Amino acid sequence: MKAARRIPLLKKMLSQFGIEDKRLMLDWVSASEGDRFASIVNEVTEQVRALGPLNWNQGGKHG
Amino acid sequence: MAKLKLALYWAGACGGCDVAVLDVNEKILDVANLADIVFWPIALDFKYHHVEAMPDKSIDVCLFNGCVRSSEQEHIAKLLRNKSQVLVAFGSCACFGGIPALANFATRAEIMERAYIEAPSNENPNKTLPQIKFKVDEGELTLPELYDDVLTLAQVVPVEYFVPGCPPTVDLILKVVNALATNSLPPVGAVIASEKTLCDECDRKKENKKITKIYRTHEIIPDPEKCLLEQGLLCMGSATRGGCGSLCVKVNIPCRGCFGPPAGVADQGAKLVSAVASIYETKGTEDIEKMVNEVVDPAGTFYRFGMSSSMLKRKHLQRK
Repeated sequence: MKAARRIPLLKKMLSQFGIEDKRLMLDWVSASEGDRFASIVNEVTEQVRALGPLNWNQGGKHG
Repeated sequence: MAKLKLALYWAGACGGCDVAVLDVNEKILDVANLADIVFWPIALDFKYHHVEAMPDKSIDVCLFNGCVRSSEQEHIAKLLRNKSQVLVAFGSCACFGGIPALANFATRAEIMERAYIEAPSNENPNKTLPQIKFKVDEGELTLPELYDDVLTLAQVVPVEYFVPGCPPTVDLILKVVNALATNSLPPVGAVIASEKTLCDECDRKKENKKITKIYRTHEIIPDPEKCLLEQGLLCMGSATRGGCGSLCVKVNIPCRGCFGPPAGVADQGAKLVSAVASIYETKGTEDIEKMVNEVVDPAGTFYRFGMSSSMLKRKHLQRK
């Protein structure tokens, strides 16, 4: 239950950092739902792949 | 024993850290007995070229306050690093970025736009912005460059010790002075404060860590005896290093986190998200939504002093 509260709050905070909502997902899968687990992982992988790597401001000083 | 040579500098800071040094009052005389102050821009008329003329490592201790966010601040940080045997990141800005590091939620271009063009007090029809170099008849004028990121001192040069606080308390400053006087400095890399969290040191009555509503400080007058977090105020004590003497919580003000993360905590904000979400009682998704809405500005609240040294460091820039 704590995770159900933490993830939405974390998502709100990450959005302030400019990190896209689709990079983080919380879902509930039972141990008997192997197919569902695989399809969710595939779905999220595709979402993140479509977003591409985080384009960090790496320079520190000059963007 | 020869007197210690002491330097103090302010980089991206409000001046409060320098004032905190003056707040040691009559004990400043002990400092004067112990040390010759060779550089202190807020109080003494030494210039940068005086420091440049000093032999390398000739300053025994430099207390450096403020973040590094301009080319001038970086230049002086490097200069003082070369001239000092012991460099101390003094205050929350030098240690973690501090309040100025909230600028990492914007870019330099956005800051310039806001400060020189958008702000209602401006009259700037030509959209003139400060330039690093500008030619006039008499020659070339220069200004330090404002960096895109606010940096901590340790992100620019190696640092021996960290003294957190906004500003460091008088007791903490005297602890540093005593350590210098008795040559009993801790191992290099140490944070000179407490190893415990503020919660561990707080005298308030802690009972049942469950809340159903989060209040902002202006919305309620809290009970002076009970844990502030249990009263629904966002007190950062559970993920903040102690050693401040619980000054804020003693006067009914929730901890804002200025001493940074305690030992063993990598990211103060992430820890606080976890802590706050843990104690909020919810029955369904509506309650979770209510909690998320009640934490009005999670990033600004949980990284109020620690943006530069956080894991994410700044707002991520969208790909163009």
